Formats: sequence, structure tokens, C-alpha cells
Amino acid sequence: MATQKANFAHDRAWNLSDESVTPEVDYLRRREFLRIFGLGLAASAILRVDSRATAIGFPDSLNGDYKLDRIKLTPEDSVTGYNNFYEWGLSKDQPKEQANRGWRTDPWKIEIGGLCANPLKLGVEELVKTVGGIERRNYRHRCVEAWSMVIPWDGFPLAKLVDLAQPKPEAKYVKFASFFDPTNCPAQRSNEFPWPYTEGLTIDEARNELAFIATGLYGKPLRNQNGAPIRLVVPWKYGFKSAKSLVKIEFVADQPKTLWNEMAPNEYGFYANVNPNVDHPRWSQKSERIIGAGFFSGKQPTLMFNGYEKQVGDLYAGMDLRKNF
Amino acid sequence: MKILSKVVGHKLFALFVIVGIGLWFLLIPAFTGGLGANPLEKILHQTGEISIWTLGAVLGLSPLRVLFPQSRLIAAVNRHRRMIGVSACVYALLHLSAHVLYEGSWDRFVQSLSKPFIWYGLSGLSILVVLGLTSNNFSIRTLGGRNWKRLHRLAYVAAAILIYHQAIAGKGHWQIARWLLFPLAALQIARLTKILAVKWSASSRTMAILGAATDSP
Repeated sequence: MATQKANFAHDRAWNLSDESVTPEVDYLRRREFLRIFGLGLAASAILRVDSRATAIGFPDSLNGDYKLDRIKLTPEDSVTGYNNFYEWGLSKDQPKEQANRGWRTDPWKIEIGGLCANPLKLGVEELVKTVGGIERRNYRHRCVEAWSMVIPWDGFPLAKLVDLAQPKPEAKYVKFASFFDPTNCPAQRSNEFPWPYTEGLTIDEARNELAFIATGLYGKPLRNQNGAPIRLVVPWKYGFKSAKSLVKIEFVADQPKTLWNEMAPNEYGFYANVNPNVDHPRWSQKSERIIGAGFFSGKQPTLMFNGYEKQVGDLYAGMDLRKNF
Repeated sequence: MKILSKVVGHKLFALFVIVGIGLWFLLIPAFTGGLGANPLEKILHQTGEISIWTLGAVLGLSPLRVLFPQSRLIAAVNRHRRMIGVSACVYALLHLSAHVLYEGSWDRFVQSLSKPFIWYGLSGLSILVVLGLTSNNFSIRTLGGRNWKRLHRLAYVAAAILIYHQAIAGKGHWQIARWLLFPLAALQIARLTKILAVKWSASSRTMAILGAATDSP
């Protein structure tokens, strides 16, 4: 019985094999880097995060349980040093710096509301406790810009949050809104983008076992640049669907407005499922660059639904994916 | 000021700056890990950025000279027009090489040709190559100064195409491209305004003289 259960767990799509991912960089190297370059501010931000870790029940970064030498993932410094977060800069190395110039993500309240029987407003730690703690999942991550990572997320299934809120039958979509703080986030003082960042899922997508709410990665609370303290992770969709630093989750009847869809509806569809057969109008989606594997890391073919077709294919049965891109 | 413009006007200074840009943004980061998690992409973007800003610099020189005819510094930098222009072409060629490497295989490179932003890049680059190849005294003599000048006005076309290329190359790149387009456009408008104003005041002065002449008995 026990073996059966273990096998079942192993079949899960988030249990990526060790071979499919790239080696982890020694955690100490990053520390050394910080020390050498004397980035006192960044270092103190990390220390603050680390002390918070124990409060939410995260394993300490030195916890031997993870055996980092055996798990091959996108190196942590690539995950935390290369990503899009337009609130904190337009290039992918800016968020790491700009999101850590005094922006406070603790304390933080998240509101769950709209068409549901049990609206809530609570702190992240409280929410984690309410849904029964966190689990770790290795997910593929595919950006619409044709690069990819494999990331060990810590968090809980979005379905648990949906169950907790008890949406009403007329709730057909879930809307996600990121923070809006023009005082501390200079980019949000300009109206180039319709801030705050918003995203959306259908209620069925939100209930799918893969849809995930992350509060950490690599066994540590999310860094500011990765969407601290709580974010969405939808691994079968392009990365921009996974809204960061959430302050509101709302159950709604109609398809919500989403930021990139509003900016360029012909380029960023509401569904935004990873699909190698439907190119972005300006670049190909057939292949993706593997991040963090050095100069000649090369490209690999992109998989339908980012490799999660088995888990999510049914959601889109009979749908014209070229039209509903 | 005199010494500064003398230093800036020296050929070695220009060479030092142009090569230095490459060292600072490409070579040194390449050996110190400063290129980040996606180094080849960084090189791809940096070479493109250097090329387009270098082209912008050379195009900014003509209006700056009209606007500040007394400035020794601008005159000194202006002596390096040719070198700056040719380096824009060289960095653009490096950018193309980086693109081919980034695509990783010949098939993927050919596939990338189906995307409009690649066409804009390639057509802008073609102009830069023609201009780069004719950036020598021999070509000026052969073509004749007038024709050569006409041919090299294509640099404006190249800049327009390449700014558009940059703006549509990625997600939200317009936010970056406009930092080149707006200043260049403003400089050109200022230059035209000044030329027109000078012409207008000159002609009105002539009119006044003519008027005075006819008024006199």
C-alpha cells in the first residue's frame, strides 16, 4: 500500500526527474558574492527574509533535508537574479536590485472576496496556517519571451484557497491583483502601464491541481523580486499569467481585464497557454532557452502546455487554441 | 576647455572610447560573470544597444554643430564621425552574429527570418554595411562629394528602421527605444527651427534694407 502511494506521487507532473534539470549552484557562493561586493542592503534584506522563514515554518536554508547536491534545478541565483517584474525595472536583472531598495513586503495582507460565501482578509502566515501548511513542488516555468527554468516552489494548491472561500455558482473567473504602491514603487507613478498588475483564470483552471499559490522558493520565503510575499504559479501558462505580490483575489462573473492583454490584445491572450504551435506575432514559441546553464546552454523544444498536457488538456477540449491563445 | 577639446579631438581618444565601450559592456562582464543568467542574450542585447546608440550619437552630431557652432568640444567629437559611424556598423554585425549564435542552429536562424522585427534589423544593418564600406576617402572621390552625401543620408533611414526594430523586438521595448527616438527627433526639430529662423531673419533684414532703399528719395 505504501509503495503504491509512493508510485502515485511519483507520477505527478511536478515530480520532475533529476536528469531534466540543471545543477544547483552552491548556496555559499552567493553569500560570498554579497560579501565581496559589499552589498550591505541586499544582504540585510536576505537576513530579514531568513528570520521570517522560521515564523512561517519554512525549513532553514541550512537544513540538510533537501540535499541540494542531489537535486538539479535552475540555480537559485538565476531564479532570483533573472526575471521580469516590470514594477521594478524593464530589464531582467533590475528587479533583484530595485525591488530591494526599501520596499516592505512584511507585514502584508491579502484579501479574498467577490462572489464567494466566505470572504477573508488576512496575513500571509495566517493564510498558510488556515490552508494547512506548505508543500514543495518542482515546476517548469516558461516565459512568453522564450526562456525557461525549473523552480522548486513552496506553497499550497490554489484549489485549497478556492475551497476556503466557497465561490458562488455565478463565479466563473478568478481575478488576481498585485500590489499598488506608487509611493514606494516609482514605476507605478507613471501611467505607461495600467497598474496594478492584474491577471485572471477561469474557475476551472483555478481548481486544477497544478494551479499553485507560492510563498517561497528553494525552501525560503519569496524574495521581493520574485513576488514576495505571495504569488500565483500557473506552470502550464506563460509566466506573465503568474501574478506576483498579490493583494487581492476576487471571484467574478465575467472575464477580468488583465494587464498584458489590455496592453496588446493581439499578442497576449487571456488564456496564454504554453503552445509551441502558436507563435507570438513577433517571435517563435517553438523552442526555449534554458536559463542558468551557461554560455552555450542551448535551446530545447517547447512542449504543449509546457509539458502538463495530461493534467490540463481536458480544460481546453474542443477549444480552438489558435483563436483562444 | 581648450585642452579638453584637444584630448577629445585626438584619434586615439576616439579609438579608446569606442573599443572601451566594447570592453566595458561585453568583454569584462563576460570574464567576471557580469552577464547574468542568460549571458548570450545579454551579449545579443548589449551589442544591439551599443550599435543603435552609436548610430544615434553620430546622427546627433550634425544638429549639435548647427545649434552650437562655437563649441570646440562638439567640433572635436565631430572629427570622429567616420570612426563612430563605422563602429555602429561593426557592433551591428556583432549583434547579428550573436543572434545567429543565440538561435543555436541554421534551421532556427532561418525560422527567425519569418518575423518582421528580424527584417527590420537586417534591412537597417544592410544600410549600415553599405555606408560602412563607403566610409573612406576613395569612395568620396569616386562617388563625388554630392552623391556621397546623398547616399550617406540613408543613415537617417537606417536609424528610423533600427529604432523600430528595437521597439518591436521584445515585450515593452518601446519604453526603451523612445529614449533614443525622442532626443534625436528633438535635435532635428531644433536644427530645422534654427536654420529657418536664421533664413527668415536674413530675408527680413534684406527686405528691410530693400525697403529702406526704396523709401529713400
